[in-house]
Amino acid sequence: MLVDKKTQKYDRQLRLWQAEGQLALENSKVCLINGTATGCEIIKDLVLPGIGSFTVVDGKLVDGADAGITFFLDADKIGSSRAQAVTELLQELNEDVKGFHLAEDPVTIIETRPEYFLQFTIVIATEIPENSLLKLAEILWIAKIPLVVVRSVGFIGYFRIIVPEHTVVETHPDNINDLRLDKPFPALQQFADTFDFDSMDPTDHGHIPYVVILLKYLNQWKREHGGNLPRTYSERDEYKSIISRGKRCSDEENFDEALANVWKACMPSRVPREIEEILNDATCENITADSSNFWIIARAIRDFVANEGQGLLPLAGTVPDMKAYTTGYVALQSAYHQQARQDISVIRSRVNDILNSIGRTADSIHDDEIDSFCKNAAHIKVIRYRSLQEEYISDPKKVELEQWLQDPQDNIIHYVLLRAVDRFYATHLHHPDAATFFSEDDSEGLGEAAKSEFESLKAQVHSLLEAWQISNPPEHLDDYIHEICRAGGSELPNIASLIGGLVSQEVIKLITHQYVTVNNTCIFDGVRSVSSTYVL
Amino acid sequence: MATQMQTDDPTPQVSAGSTKDWPGRWSHINKILDRRGPFCDPSFTPGHNEEILLSQCKILVIGAGGLGCEILKNLALSGFRDIEVIDMDTIDVSNLNRQFLFRPSDVGSPKAKVAAEFVMKRVAGVKVSYYHGKIQDKDDDYYLGFHMIICGLDSVEARRWMNATLVNIAQDDPEKIRVLIDGGTEGFKGQARVIIPTVTSCYECSLEMFNKPTTFPICTTANTPRLPEHCIEWASVLQWPKVRGDEKMDTDDPTHIQWIYETALSKAKEFNISGVTYSLTQGVVKNIIPAIASTNAVIAAACCNEAFKIITTSQPFLNNYMMYTGNEGVYTHTFEYEKKPDCPVCGNQTLPLEVRKDITVEDFIELLQEKPDIQLKKPSLSTSTNEKIYWQSPPFFEERTRPNLTKELSSLVNSGEDIIITDSSLPFSLKVRISYA
Repeated sequence: MLVDKKTQKYDRQLRLWQAEGQLALENSKVCLINGTATGCEIIKDLVLPGIGSFTVVDGKLVDGADAGITFFLDADKIGSSRAQAVTELLQELNEDVKGFHLAEDPVTIIETRPEYFLQFTIVIATEIPENSLLKLAEILWIAKIPLVVVRSVGFIGYFRIIVPEHTVVETHPDNINDLRLDKPFPALQQFADTFDFDSMDPTDHGHIPYVVILLKYLNQWKREHGGNLPRTYSERDEYKSIISRGKRCSDEENFDEALANVWKACMPSRVPREIEEILNDATCENITADSSNFWIIARAIRDFVANEGQGLLPLAGTVPDMKAYTTGYVALQSAYHQQARQDISVIRSRVNDILNSIGRTADSIHDDEIDSFCKNAAHIKVIRYRSLQEEYISDPKKVELEQWLQDPQDNIIHYVLLRAVDRFYATHLHHPDAATFFSEDDSEGLGEAAKSEFESLKAQVHSLLEAWQISNPPEHLDDYIHEICRAGGSELPNIASLIGGLVSQEVIKLITHQYVTVNNTCIFDGVRSVSSTYVL
Repeated sequence: MATQMQTDDPTPQVSAGSTKDWPGRWSHINKILDRRGPFCDPSFTPGHNEEILLSQCKILVIGAGGLGCEILKNLALSGFRDIEVIDMDTIDVSNLNRQFLFRPSDVGSPKAKVAAEFVMKRVAGVKVSYYHGKIQDKDDDYYLGFHMIICGLDSVEARRWMNATLVNIAQDDPEKIRVLIDGGTEGFKGQARVIIPTVTSCYECSLEMFNKPTTFPICTTANTPRLPEHCIEWASVLQWPKVRGDEKMDTDDPTHIQWIYETALSKAKEFNISGVTYSLTQGVVKNIIPAIASTNAVIAAACCNEAFKIITTSQPFLNNYMMYTGNEGVYTHTFEYEKKPDCPVCGNQTLPLEVRKDITVEDFIELLQEKPDIQLKKPSLSTSTNEKIYWQSPPFFEERTRPNLTKELSSLVNSGEDIIITDSSLPFSLKVRISYA
């Protein structure tokens, strides 16, 4: 069974998102608006793992500055179409990926035929003026196509994810803990009953799986405490000492494992609050022909919880490793596995009923999808993003912004500055760009032109703060204005690359529906090497 | 928004001179270097960095893999003109999903050579020298020849060696301090840190943060396997030498992996264990760590950003650790990792260690291998009066000291005495002061 070339090439990432994630990547069409250094870095990190195709939309011609900071350009390309030039060199990275370019001004396309962008799986936008950005965001929002807005100025990087709803089944939690010790299913109790602790010889006793140890003493505890679990700290201690007394000798590893995992027995099995919220969501209630597979399965699970599940989610069916004989461990594993299969088959038939009721065939949702959903049921995620229109116009997060801005170390100040820079650009058609900060040793000082850049930008900051009804200007505001005037709209290769890494990672999560995406804004400060995320 | 770059002449102006610059080439970076900012170091002089610091700074990159490729690109684009790279590996197909300086036709060639040549071809005027070999081949003078060293390695052992070497060099002479910037990644996680030898905490101070790869007890894998990993470990560690004799296992040879896979699979069937796959077999045998382009880009850029800030003094630099996690949102934790007073490399060099009264030498060695802040592979032990307790090599000493393995440690070393521990993979010895519980 020698492995094919593609599996070999992608081996290191398949271990993170498996064949299903890879397939989703390979079927994706990614659009980059403007082939900036940051934009190219994002595409680089997406071409390498093998997206289906990318398209660079950019009306600019390459200039000397572009060629200086972009690895996918060189001096020979100066004067040629930037869209075409970067596409050629980006495509070289992976023969499996198709690269396209459109050498047209993206702003014009947004104004005249925005439907052009509806052909893509996801759109990444760099360097678009605020007005056009809002228009683009709106049309993609209606089409439910994710948009990632990216900025990189000096040492500051920013990105914002916008999509009405993003659902994730494969969140890849570090651990799945679903042992049901407080409510053992019949097969588990039967299996545990086969261990007669007292009559076992020392070797056998040292190989009782810790799940069985926890269960035996938990049942004993419950009998003595009116059916309750050990809840308080001292009750847990007492439960622990009961387990300890069961030891034959001081270093019985399986008993030590039981003691280390006592918390798993003391946590009542229940539907976690966040999952309850998802199951009670209106989208789950109102299943229609347009409902996604995610919501159809979620609905089946909701109905399972209310009926066969008796208040619990389907069993995850996984058992952690523990000291045991092979036979004992395998039997324990199969007890959990079979119960999980039983739950899955109930959910399968509930899914079929729902599909039938909305005129879809049963095979339109594959068994694997249901299996995975059931296994991850306690860890699924639904993220509802705020639209850019809400953030910018109808419902800015005034209260939160004021709160965050009170901490002078908070990265949110960069958000204010970046927004102000956008506004500055709208009137001046260039970035604030001047040396405005001097020390006594510097030979030159602040000139009139520089002073005016500084003051205009400051006025934009104040008008934003005013719109948010924030009366106290943030501490050290002038310093941040100086710094962004100094940066003058420059992209630094390191920050471009760092933001490229972050954004590509989020794009991969959005495309594969695996792992948990940022909700909704991330800011990296390369001066202090600190990142923060905000719901804006 | 297009940045306002005045390119008066749109035609390329690549001069034949040594700098190979063209109009506007450095205009982005020069905005930062030509202007003072409110956060930059008081020693920063606007307008002097490009030519003085960036072109006269010699920088060494260790590793030309996932991080190394990114680091070389970033340094070259940031204006570093004199770079050297060391890597002992050759290019494998599985590198191509992230090591973007390599193409399928490069498979089998030395990473250092291909990476250096690619960056020189793409970025005009940068000099990238390379050495295809081990970091241990180079002496102190070699490392002193650089202003700064950036490590993008995948092995704890190589990092420990590099760190200890730079700390040793700097130990008695502050002039010989060479800043070490270290990056590391694993799947969606990683870290970037700045080590100023003897001044900040060093790599060894934080050793316990890095988990050693899981190993499985031999008796479990042989007699009571539970996991597919146990079967694979059994096939590769016990069955390979038993069946294939002296033949050396080559984990890059697919027929060898195939043999281990089939052997493990039959064991798994016998024990009713599911989950042995070819991919898992490869993962366990080669101790494969998942790796993607995104995380490498983030960590390498964080490292290069610090290098740029340190060399140009254009901004304060990281003090001294940034941890990154990307699987759930984006999360970084930036903090000062403190020096460990009893760090065997940069501290006062005697580690107190309390052990069981009846511990044998053999068990003591196992403890040294397992203990997260020591993690030695093949430790050799001597008493403080230089008597050998157990030496791993040469064979003559190993044979002579082997009988000590089953003795109780307390019969050879009294409570309160020191044991000197050496390991061929590390350029330092560790002193442990023993007490018995």
